[in-house]
Order: sequence, then structure tokens, then C-alpha cells
Amino acid sequence: MQLITLATKSMFNRKASVLLTLFTIAISVMLLLTIERVRQEAKSSFSNTVSGTDLIVGARSGDIQLLLSSVFRIGHANNSVSWDSYQDIKSQRGVSWAIPISLGDSHKGHAVLGTDSAYFEHFRYGKKQNLAFAAGRAFVNAQEVVLGSEVASKMHYQLGQQIVISHGMGNTSFHHHDDNPMTIVGILAPTGTPVDKTVHVPLAAIEAMHSQPKSASRMIGKPKQSAAHSHSDTDEHDQNHTDEHGHNDSHDHEHANEHKHNDGHDHDHADEHGHNHSHDHDHSDEHDHGHDKPDTVAVTVPAPAHLHGDLIGEPKQITAFLMGLDSPLYTLQTRRNINNYKAEPLLAIMPGVTLRELWRMLGLVEKILLLFSGVVVLISLLGMLTTLLATLNQRRRELAILRSVGARPRHIFTLMSSEAILITAAGCALGIALFYALIALAQGTLQSQFGISLSISLLSHYELMLIGVIMAAGTLMGILPATRAYFYSLSDGMSIKL
Amino acid sequence: MLEINDLIFRWPGQTDATLNIPKLEVAAGERVFLHGPSGSGKSTLLGLLSGVNKPESGSIRLLGKDLAQLSDAARDKFRADHIGTIFQNFNLLPYLSPIENVTLGCHFSRSRTERVKASGNTLTQQGEQLLQQLGLDPSIMARSVAQLSIGQQQRVAAARAFIGQPELIIADEPTSALDADNRNAFIELLFKEASQYGATILFVSHDSSLAAMFDKYLSLSDINEVVQCS
Repeated sequence: MQLITLATKSMFNRKASVLLTLFTIAISVMLLLTIERVRQEAKSSFSNTVSGTDLIVGARSGDIQLLLSSVFRIGHANNSVSWDSYQDIKSQRGVSWAIPISLGDSHKGHAVLGTDSAYFEHFRYGKKQNLAFAAGRAFVNAQEVVLGSEVASKMHYQLGQQIVISHGMGNTSFHHHDDNPMTIVGILAPTGTPVDKTVHVPLAAIEAMHSQPKSASRMIGKPKQSAAHSHSDTDEHDQNHTDEHGHNDSHDHEHANEHKHNDGHDHDHADEHGHNHSHDHDHSDEHDHGHDKPDTVAVTVPAPAHLHGDLIGEPKQITAFLMGLDSPLYTLQTRRNINNYKAEPLLAIMPGVTLRELWRMLGLVEKILLLFSGVVVLISLLGMLTTLLATLNQRRRELAILRSVGARPRHIFTLMSSEAILITAAGCALGIALFYALIALAQGTLQSQFGISLSISLLSHYELMLIGVIMAAGTLMGILPATRAYFYSLSDGMSIKL
Repeated sequence: MLEINDLIFRWPGQTDATLNIPKLEVAAGERVFLHGPSGSGKSTLLGLLSGVNKPESGSIRLLGKDLAQLSDAARDKFRADHIGTIFQNFNLLPYLSPIENVTLGCHFSRSRTERVKASGNTLTQQGEQLLQQLGLDPSIMARSVAQLSIGQQQRVAAARAFIGQPELIIADEPTSALDADNRNAFIELLFKEASQYGATILFVSHDSSLAAMFDKYLSLSDINEVVQCS
């Protein structure tokens, strides 16, 4: 019989105290691993939210505030960038691409992001990955919407379904743009970033949403519903709108203008967008389709070929825009130029730098968490030490019997220290099992609440190293009772003193 | 077999010697009764004989080897190979089965294992055989040690002492927990087992009434020249 077998059987004989010790260690290991895994995943999903973007430009506020609002959809950007400035900066030399972003609306708690087709072409996340479609395609006109994977799965939305985007943030917007249903034409593949929780609409749709119902519905060709709206509704709508956006001009007037512009815009941009048919025609097609098939019924997405419409409209302003430059060497210079932009106060940030800055701010919390979980592990190991030392006195008879049948003091030492190692190892193993169980349980919540995607992957080198440190500490702890047992066995010999 | 000359032993930190034995001789195959009341230095002598402790001066020759000259590790090995021990009671490890208790010592002694193998048995077979020879029903072998009676436990302990045929069997008050009938029966079993291969038995007890069964009677208070306080 090997000493290990002996140690195991001896421990089994004292299973109550051994199991308690083992559970303490297991729980502490689980805690440590979970905290570390969440920390790591949070950090990586954090820095993976945006990549390949050289600059993010918004109205002048704080670096972190701009990052939070533009990338994480947290907080509000109080000011915006005028469309003219955007066009101007975009056309500057060295700018490879730009993605306009218009935020501030929501759909059942999910952020609505107005953008154009550049988003699907140029936005990168993680390791410079492009956005991929799990189903469908990008929007090609103002009545189409593309969902992040999580929005689709959570709301059980399907392609072809029509949804209504509300104005303002939050679940309970005071008024809904019931008159502006949009068709889901694309669902993005999961990215583990805030993109998953975002409803993507064309800029033109944001604009339409915010305009007066009458003109909006006229714009998207829906006279029926607009007629149903009472005057008071319309007024209220305007009022809200004015307050929230701080428009001082009369809305009716503005929108009338906009609408006119819109028509003109179409013609102007006809070449640019490669449209060969009239805008109005497109919309009536779309409208018919939408009314034939009511909400919640999934239908196939119409082929985009003859549906191309204006995605941009005539926005006055956007929340921010992402920029890619021809060469990263231009980044600092471009940034300086934008920060000194004459026409309006703008702020350009380098997302990588600001992400790191933000993470550093959270760094203290993460270090405290690590410290706490480390202390918990230490306490559990000290608990094991206490138990081993406490039972040692009761085990002197056992040791004497072993001595009498020929066990050398070093056997006693090995026996005692292997016990600590076995308990620690079993504790670690159980802790790892609990850790995976916990991850499996918490995965959904963490993903939906905090956007941290925990993968049930193998232990990383770092995590294995943590386990190694715990094992080493447990082994060291075992040396103390083993040494005492060693000296007991030397002095007691075979005589049994009780 | 066993020869002690001018043995002096003192516990560390004590000024007076615990043992001072000018001469003690035991022949091979002899059954010796050593009378040692408590406090007579009995445990100390057994510790010295089994090589757990080392004498301050003098020699303990066991099977021709002077234990005093051996290193700690060598004495441990010597004990494992050549001495079987039976304690007063609570002899067995409660977490091992009776058979595992019997074969326990073989894991610390290669020569005893080899002697078992030479008989053509596995350790377990040899253990079962010994338990049967000592009058234990095979049905108890599956039982937990804690379920055995004191008498049964002592026989398991005896089997453990005899396995692998060690030359010297030291029995330290093995019968004190048994009643008179069982006591004699147990000693008879020890003799029967020892005579099979000529083992020497050193039986230590405070109960002189048992002495009549033995070849030789020694009293520790006679051979030990240290004046006992009791």
C-alpha cells in the first residue's frame, strides 16, 4: 500500500473535518477563479469593443465621456457634431473612411444607432474583425433596420418583422413613433460588444423619427396612419422634441424645409447612390409590403436590388463619428486639427488610449477584488492548517502504530504533508468544477447585464498559475503539521501516550 | 539472539538514568516473560530494543547487530524487517480493513514481503492464512476494525506482528484487556505461531500470573540497576 493510499484512507476516516476544509478551499478557489475570469473577460471585451478606428470625434466633452457614449452607449452626449463639420472633416486629406453615429433613441431598452452603410463596411471590433451578418443584409433604405444579435435573440425578432423605434432612451418612452414601423432586414452575428445590444437604423430614419408625424409619414409614404393622428398629439410631439433637442426654430417650418431638401437631395445624390428609380416609388413599394404583412409575422426580406433608398437624409447633426485614416501616422496631426477645429468645438480621441485610461480608472477596483479573493484563499488554507494541527494530537496513536510496523519518520512526514497536498488538490479540483458551474450559470446574466461574455474555455496559463500558487501554498502549509508529526514520531517512538 | 551489555539510557534533559542494565541475554526461539510494573522503564527498554531510541552507552546486540552502532534510518529498517510488535490495545488503524492492518508492515519492509512471497502466497493470502491460524473466521475480514471485539482485534494485531516471519516478537501487555480465559488462549496462539518458524517472543506484562507459561522469567526491577522511585 502506498503512502498516498494510506493518507487517503486516513483522511476518509476523518471525512467530516477533511470535507469541510476541502469545501472551504474549493469555494475560495472558485471565488478567485471567477473574479479573475470576469476581470480578464471584462478587460478584453472592454478593449475589444472597438478596433481599427483611429479617432472618435464628438462634441467637446471629456475623453472618457465621449468614449462611453459613442462606443458603450452609456450616458448621453449632450452636444452634437454638426453635419457640415462631419462632411468637412470627412473630406479632408488622409481620411480613409468615417462612420457617422447618431444616438439617443431606444427600442425597448436597446440603444438605437443611426448610421450609414459605412458602418457595416468599416466598423471593426475585437481583432480588427468586420461586422458579420448572422442573417439578412445591411439596410439600404430608411425603413430598414439591422439588429445586434442580442436584441434579436432577446426580443425574438426575426427577419422581415416590423418594429417601431421610439424616441428617447429607456423602456417607457412617453411617445412611440407608431407611425414609423421599420422592417428588420439584417441580424448581426454576435460580437460580445455593445453592438450586440444595438438597433441599427439609417440616419434618415432617426431624422424621420424626430420630425413631425405628418411630414415624417409623408416622407415614408404612409398617409393613412398620419391621418389618424389628432392635432393635440402632434403638438405634444413637437413640444417634446423641442425641449429635448433644444431647437428654437419652429418645427413645422424646419421639417417642411427638410422635406423639400430631401427631395432635392435624392436627385443630387442619385449618381452617388447609384439609384436609377425615383425615391417615391421605392417607398410606396415598401409601404405596401409593410401593410400587407402585419407585425410579428416573419416574412422573407425583400431583395435589395430595387429598394435602394436614401440612408442619410438631411441630418442637421450627429452624435459623433468614427474615423479611419489612410495611415496611423496622421492620427496625432488629424487629432490636433480636429481639436482646434474652427467652426465648432470638437473633440477627437484615440479609442485605444482612452480605453486604457478608462480601464486604469477601474483598475483599483479590480486590484481590490483580486486582493480580497487572494485573502479568502489564504484564510481557507490557514483553516486547513488549523484542522491538520488540531487533529494531529489525536493521531499520535496512529503515528505510533505506523512507527511500530516500520514506518520511518520520513514516511510520517510524507504521509502528513501528502494529506495537505491531497486536500488542497481536491479543493482546487472541486473549486474549478464549481467555477465552471458558476460561469455556466452566470454567463447569461453577465452577458445581458454587463456585456461581459464569459466563455467556458480551458483554464488560461494565468489561471493555471494561480492554481499552482494555491497548490504551492497548500503544500507549504502541510509542512508545518508534517514537521510536528515528524518530531512526535521521533520522541514518542512506539509508546503510545494519550 | 538478544544480548544487552552495560546499557545506560537517559531521557534528554534528565540527570538520572532511566535504565542501567549490565547484562541481559535471550536465546533464539526462547519465550521470555519480562515482568515490568508501570514506571519500571519498560516502555523505555522496548523503545531501545525496537531501535526507536538509542542507548547512551553500552550495546544492544540483536541478531548479531549492535543497534547502538546503527544509524537512525538503519535501526528503523532493522525494526521493520526483524521485529513484530503487539500493543496493549487499540493496535489497529481504524481506517484499514483487518487484512490491510495485517499486511501494513510489509509495505515498510522488503525482506518481510519477500519472505511472504517465498511461501508462494500474496500478501493478502498470507494475511488471511494467518488470521485463520489465529482462529479468526474469514467473515470478519470484510468487517471494519471497529466492529471487532477486543480479542479479535488483538489476534489481528498478532497476525500483523507475525506476517513476514520477523525473528523477534515484542508483545507489550497484549492481554491486559482480555479476560483470563482469552488471555491464556491468546498466549497459546502466540506460542503456536512462533514455534512454526522459531520466533523469539518477548512478552512484557505486569501480571506475573502469566509467567508460568513461559520458558524464561525476567523481572525488569531485577535486571535494571536504577533505583525506581515506585
